[in-house]
Amino acid sequence: MPLRPALLAASQPAAAPSPPREATAVGLLAALAALAPFLLGWLSLAPNRLLSPRPAELPMGPELGLAMGGFLLACLLVLLLARRAALLPWAEAAAALALCALLATAGLGARAALEAASPMARAMPAAGVWVAMLLLALAAGSCAAGRGGTPGRFLALAVLGVGGLLATGLLDGLSVVHEAAARGPELRSAFSGHLALAGGALALALMVSVPLSLLALRRPRLEAALMGLANGFQVVPSLALFGLLMGPLAALAALWPALRDWGVGGIGPAPAILGIAAYLLLPLASSLLAGLRVASPALLDAARGQGMTEAGILRRLRLPLGWGVMLGGLRVAAVQAVGLATLAALIGGGGLGRLVFQGIGQMAADLILLGVLPVVLLSLLVDGLLAILQSGLEVAR
Amino acid sequence: MIRFEGVTRRYGDRAVVDRVTLDVPDGSICVLLGESGSGKSTLMRMVNRLVEPSAGRVLVNGRDVTATDPETLRRGIGYVIQSVGLFPHWRVAENVATVPRLLGWEAARIATRVDELLALVGLEPGRFRDRFPHELSGGQAQRVGLARALAADPPLLLMDEPFSALDPGTRRGLQAELRTIHAETGKTILFVTHDVEEALALADTVAVLEEGRLAARGRPAELLERGTGAPVRRLFGEESLAFHRLATLPASTIARPEDAAGDLPILPAEASLKQALMLMLSEGSDRLAVPPTGEFPGGTLYWADLVRPA
Repeated sequence: MPLRPALLAASQPAAAPSPPREATAVGLLAALAALAPFLLGWLSLAPNRLLSPRPAELPMGPELGLAMGGFLLACLLVLLLARRAALLPWAEAAAALALCALLATAGLGARAALEAASPMARAMPAAGVWVAMLLLALAAGSCAAGRGGTPGRFLALAVLGVGGLLATGLLDGLSVVHEAAARGPELRSAFSGHLALAGGALALALMVSVPLSLLALRRPRLEAALMGLANGFQVVPSLALFGLLMGPLAALAALWPALRDWGVGGIGPAPAILGIAAYLLLPLASSLLAGLRVASPALLDAARGQGMTEAGILRRLRLPLGWGVMLGGLRVAAVQAVGLATLAALIGGGGLGRLVFQGIGQMAADLILLGVLPVVLLSLLVDGLLAILQSGLEVAR
Repeated sequence: MIRFEGVTRRYGDRAVVDRVTLDVPDGSICVLLGESGSGKSTLMRMVNRLVEPSAGRVLVNGRDVTATDPETLRRGIGYVIQSVGLFPHWRVAENVATVPRLLGWEAARIATRVDELLALVGLEPGRFRDRFPHELSGGQAQRVGLARALAADPPLLLMDEPFSALDPGTRRGLQAELRTIHAETGKTILFVTHDVEEALALADTVAVLEEGRLAARGRPAELLERGTGAPVRRLFGEESLAFHRLATLPASTIARPEDAAGDLPILPAEASLKQALMLMLSEGSDRLAVPPTGEFPGGTLYWADLVRPA
């Protein structure tokens, strides 16, 4: 019988590939995530929305047991899948699954606990659930780092899963969801206000930094002035900057009342947008200048020597070679804009910050969360979209 | 033809190029030779207006270069630099097509021209057309650089130390090919280098620059005649001057017109005396047979004649 070495070799059991570097970290994080709710509590109950919550027993039932089992199984899956480098993306997906099961458990628990309590009572996830969520996110991050990427898969699946849970009403028992339902229109207007603040500030900062960076490219003194200004803004605390802008803007509005119709005044969105835009100058201008300089002097010499115009050099060399760097700066600036827009509420600028500061004023944790969660989500979304765009452009090169 | 008329370039108080007057005849290779900082690159860059003269003027075919706008002027002059400067995000074919595209040629004409040029510089079009610059070796990249400079068939080529960054073998190969391409295309080439051997290998005329001034100029053989000036002696090295001189003289000049013995090593008549010396050393022979070519009737080259003070 003829020997078929290739086939024989294939049937040999392959040497077990060594687990990836991240296996230990991911495993540990997943195990801790599975333990956390049992050690730190699943659920808290408060008599009403303003009183402090107390730890509560999880009222066990068949549905709840199923969800909890799913959570533990998913954590185990994360731990096992992370042992193989090729399976790391699946470990990341399993982490998203664990997160959804965890929330479902908390949601079901809250629903059952509220049935036995007064109508004013509020149920919320206890520390253990929050810690477990954090640990799962970290585990997913480690998995993503193992394949040299960002945990986009985890985020997308988690958002989809949580969206699904919300849609089916499984999480209605949780106080944040309750609060959101009660404040639907307010939440929506705060969200669109937040988008307008962040988007407006980003647009304004781009309108200033793009032409200035192009001009500064060949004028060292302008560059020094621009970077000095951009750096200077970073030193001023944001609230102080908003405060500093109040005076001049109020004076302007008093001088030309027509400006008031445009929303310019000492308080309100105008100083907020101006202030946020000032902070965005540094990431934008520095990355624009760095991006425009990716094309090396030798390359520019060759281009000029062949008769390319300065406009042609910008369009065909500086921009295509610098996209990655410039988008990186835009990413930082956009995320920063979303975060800073939260502070606009302090000077009457609106946005999701209003919910946060109202919540702080009323000591209502749910209201704070209602403001904070969309901000976090928005930041992740903006960052993720720009990251996809960035990697897409780098592949296209 | 390029003519520099009393060209000076000052940066602040320092004259980097100082009153240089020089003619480069049509179809010749003129090498600007000098140490770094001698102003040779600056002088060359005034031809395509990458540097503007502070005084004097540069004429190309009798026209002052400042009469043409810089971009149009540069599209009509090939330009090759040491760092090559291929655009990293463009394929080889797109890089070669830079100037034709700027001139608005049709796609089909560009494609034909690119293949023609890649073949001319010794790169198989099918294999190299679609590569990116990072997939090329240094020598291949500079071949593409040369093809790019020749793309729109400019009558004039400016080459700024194009082979300096290459290893010696690749450099010699490209020098020989540049001579071949020059013989085929008849371009006028202004070539900047600090490498004396490269200058002697390529030049029809050499212009030696020292501290911005034209210190000497002439055919390589004239330049290295006995009693040449201090700048040339310094640049070529006092002790190796005689050796370099051998490189400028053809073997046929001192071969004795007699029938050579049959067993002597054979030296081609167009070889230089330096090559003759190398052959004698490697063959351990004090005589070489030089076969007849063209008007040269053939003869024997003697060691004694080679080392006799001329």
